[in-house]
Amino acid sequence: MSLGPSSTRSSLLLALLFSPALLADDLFLESESLPQVLTATRLKQTPAEVPGSMTVLDSELINASGARDISELLRLVPGMMVGNISGNQAAVNYHGTNASEARRMQVLIDGRSVYRAGLATVDWSDIPVAMEDIERIEVFRGPNTVSYGANALMAVVNIITRHPADSHGTRLKITRGERGINDFYASQGLGWNGGDLRLSLSGQEDDGFDSDRNGADYRDSRRLNRFSLAVSQALSDNQSLDWQIDAKDGTNQRPYTYHPVFSGITAAGNNSDVIAKDYAGSVRWNLDVNPDHSLYIQGSAQHWDRQQVWRACDAEVSFSPQLTQLWQLNPNYTERLARNMPRFAGPGAPPGTAAEMALANQVLDQWRNGASQTLCGDIDQSTRESRYDLELQDTLSLSDSLRLVSGMNYRYDRADSETYFNGTLDDTTWRAFGQLEWRASEHWLLQGGAMYEDTRLIGSSLTPRFAVNYLINPRHSLRAVYSEAIRSPDMFENNVNWSYQVTNLQPAAFGQSSARYFVKTRGPGDLDQEHIRSRELGYNGYFAELGLALDVKLFYDEISGMISEPLRNNQYIASNANNSRFRGTESQLDWRLSQIDRLRLTYAFVDAEASNPLDQQFSARNSGSAGWLRDWGHGWNSALFYYGDNALNGYRFERVDTRIAKRIPLGKAHLQLAGVLQQRLDHQPTTFVDNNYDERRVMYFSAELEF
Amino acid sequence: MRYGTSRKTPTVGQWLIGLCLFLTAWLHGVAVQAADILLIGSEESPGVQSFVQALSELRPTDRVRFQPLASLPAPGKLPASLRLILLDLPSLDWRLKESQGPATLVLRISRLQAQQRLAGAQPAHLSLLWSDPPLSRQLQLIRRILPQARRVGVLFDQHSEFMLKELHLAASPFHLEIVGQRWDNTQDSRPLQAVLKNSDVLLGLDDPDLYNPKTAKNLLLSSYSRQLALVGPNAAFVRAGSLASTYSDQRDWLAILDDLLDRPPASWPRSLYPGRFKVLSNAQVARSLSIEPIDEVSVATELAEGERHP
Repeated sequence: MSLGPSSTRSSLLLALLFSPALLADDLFLESESLPQVLTATRLKQTPAEVPGSMTVLDSELINASGARDISELLRLVPGMMVGNISGNQAAVNYHGTNASEARRMQVLIDGRSVYRAGLATVDWSDIPVAMEDIERIEVFRGPNTVSYGANALMAVVNIITRHPADSHGTRLKITRGERGINDFYASQGLGWNGGDLRLSLSGQEDDGFDSDRNGADYRDSRRLNRFSLAVSQALSDNQSLDWQIDAKDGTNQRPYTYHPVFSGITAAGNNSDVIAKDYAGSVRWNLDVNPDHSLYIQGSAQHWDRQQVWRACDAEVSFSPQLTQLWQLNPNYTERLARNMPRFAGPGAPPGTAAEMALANQVLDQWRNGASQTLCGDIDQSTRESRYDLELQDTLSLSDSLRLVSGMNYRYDRADSETYFNGTLDDTTWRAFGQLEWRASEHWLLQGGAMYEDTRLIGSSLTPRFAVNYLINPRHSLRAVYSEAIRSPDMFENNVNWSYQVTNLQPAAFGQSSARYFVKTRGPGDLDQEHIRSRELGYNGYFAELGLALDVKLFYDEISGMISEPLRNNQYIASNANNSRFRGTESQLDWRLSQIDRLRLTYAFVDAEASNPLDQQFSARNSGSAGWLRDWGHGWNSALFYYGDNALNGYRFERVDTRIAKRIPLGKAHLQLAGVLQQRLDHQPTTFVDNNYDERRVMYFSAELEF
Repeated sequence: MRYGTSRKTPTVGQWLIGLCLFLTAWLHGVAVQAADILLIGSEESPGVQSFVQALSELRPTDRVRFQPLASLPAPGKLPASLRLILLDLPSLDWRLKESQGPATLVLRISRLQAQQRLAGAQPAHLSLLWSDPPLSRQLQLIRRILPQARRVGVLFDQHSEFMLKELHLAASPFHLEIVGQRWDNTQDSRPLQAVLKNSDVLLGLDDPDLYNPKTAKNLLLSSYSRQLALVGPNAAFVRAGSLASTYSDQRDWLAILDDLLDRPPASWPRSLYPGRFKVLSNAQVARSLSIEPIDEVSVATELAEGERHP
């Protein structure tokens, strides 16, 4: 030990060390040039420094949950409302709003936004990523358009796949179980000098829910296959290229839900199934200019193809040109007439303007002359949506205490649908963002930023965000956050041009085998962005000696200019007239009691108030989860989870999941056998009245071979 | 009164002290008789030059000089009074050709390099001064900066495997568990993933097959993505992103050499870990892992005290 080396000498030495020219002069310090890998721009914030609330679902948790869907995993996030529209359509929203449309959350896969370009929803079941390829999921609980772009209105779900370098070897897995569960996964990862690759194939099948409200078989099964290729290649010491190609192809069953408008129609189709194909490709070029400056450019292309052609039956008069004209004059009047044709057939048109009554009487004449006969034809509700995205992000460490993240983004969205848009509709978005992180002192961390966005269809907006973290020490902090965020209405809400051209009509309608259905809906075209103001106070702490991580937050969020009208083709009049408010508290606790036990608890209290009652439906006042993971030794592992929501869309949800797994070494390979048992504790439908299981319990088993 | 006492005749004790002082001065006189110190390396790089210069300034009464390996006869032909200091492995290879010859200090040799060359033997004419930090010191550093860590992951290959047994022994007094993981092919990252999965911290052995510029990125990014710190293997790795390491620099080695050269070669140890060392940490990495800033000087002092009073 050097005798009394002064601290100046030590820092001088540090300075010498950090200067490679001088490093070579000390015979005893490694002179071999080693790149600085964990640079200021690569290092991330600690949980205590994050300017908001963050939940990280790590691979251990993901594995232990036994979940087969990303949406199911999100039950582990406090405040996340997870329900089902049907067996193959999850509904996920943070804190709430409408149960059938979850459009206020940004969802990213490796930085690529996956909410649909035209309809702005997330088809959770169709995301082309296998659970087995996910490394972790980071959920930013709160608005953050500054970091994640528009649509990050209420929360951001950032799905990070396993890096190809961490995926070497072969994995084969099959899962079989009740409710038609039949999944597989196969992947191969390999590395070469400077590069790594992961190729995976996977598939998923299940029957969805068993019965609808009438006890009849519910048509909501799914069947899908996925392909994924991820490659990472170092180009030089300071440059690398990552690229991915993902594809998904599958069928989602949908029940036949068309209710004839006209009375006396009994014929009906039997399904409105969807063939869903998703394709995505992205390339990211990373450049470390120097240890304090790095940037990346990411380009991505995505395509969502939803083929939905189904046979529907209604009266011939549905295709009457006069009825179509009347709808354009007065939809309310027309609907009243159409739903009560036999009643008006005798006395004549209901009272209205002269023009309305004249048209109505012509329609009634057609009805009396045989247009009440049943016709069946094909309805094509297919959509094809595409998105091209280019982003530049620059991270600059200006000093030890000042870091700037800034960037630009260009996005082109296109939606193509005869039914919804009468052809093609497109939009372009420009975005610029910047966020400054300033460590004012050992204890104070100030972060602020803003995003400017301009979309061709909606217009421009500027959203700011500020956060103050008081670091009691590096592991404990208090925070205060104010943020604003916007959501641009999607093409559907603003620009829908909804009508059905029905083909293969049998018998022909007014002599035509293809005709246009009388109902036609147009979006207002002048909608503004929804706007959220969010205030948050929080505490984040890690008690290292106990292994306990804790986060508590209080929040008060207000959304104004809210577009709440449900997407329906009869009389869809969207407006920015609504607002809602969410306030409450959330906490999460992750406690590694010992090397073999891990305890995790989450709880959220959400008080929702909305001008449109529909926007209050999807907020459970009390919700949470509890988990216990244990490693029993000799390859045995167990996990026990409880999930509860007091009321989601009016229905209670309580479930206990158990997973027991055994890892068996087979020479250089490993075989893992696992069984999952999910037991519902309540007797209610899941989110909607048609979502019922015959048994409250389901079991499935998996076998995974790794070598 | 006090002055009076000092004029008294000396006691027996005082005589003895006087004798000791005389003997020490005489012995020292013998030691400081100009010694002939020859430093040997394959080439005279600027680093070697500055080291030779620093050593000669430290020992003005000695004759300190450098000679390139190529210009030297066989070791046995050199005068026995010479003290040899070897600066690299080629010069060690040269010295190993004959056991005859002057007493030799071998610098800049790691445990692993010695194992490969000497297969565990420690020849009597050599004093091996280890360049890699002692394992127990690195473990003690882990204990000090990461008190919660219990499972210490250690990657090794066929060359560094011999250190595992010693590592297990060194870990037991600290109540640390060594999670060893063989990593023969660094292009296959599965062993790395496995060890990260089962450890609380990764300890780097000074094995250039495993820890080199090519593997640094994968090692550091993989461990960081699991929020796991790497400790060691050397100061250069700390600069690249390892959390901390103990190390000895030229200044430490000069002091150690100065001490050894004062002693008769017969008392040189067969091998020696540097008793003088420093701690280097990466403050940015520490902050990002929620670790309190590491006071390098006080940690080094604590570790040194721990080694003196285990």
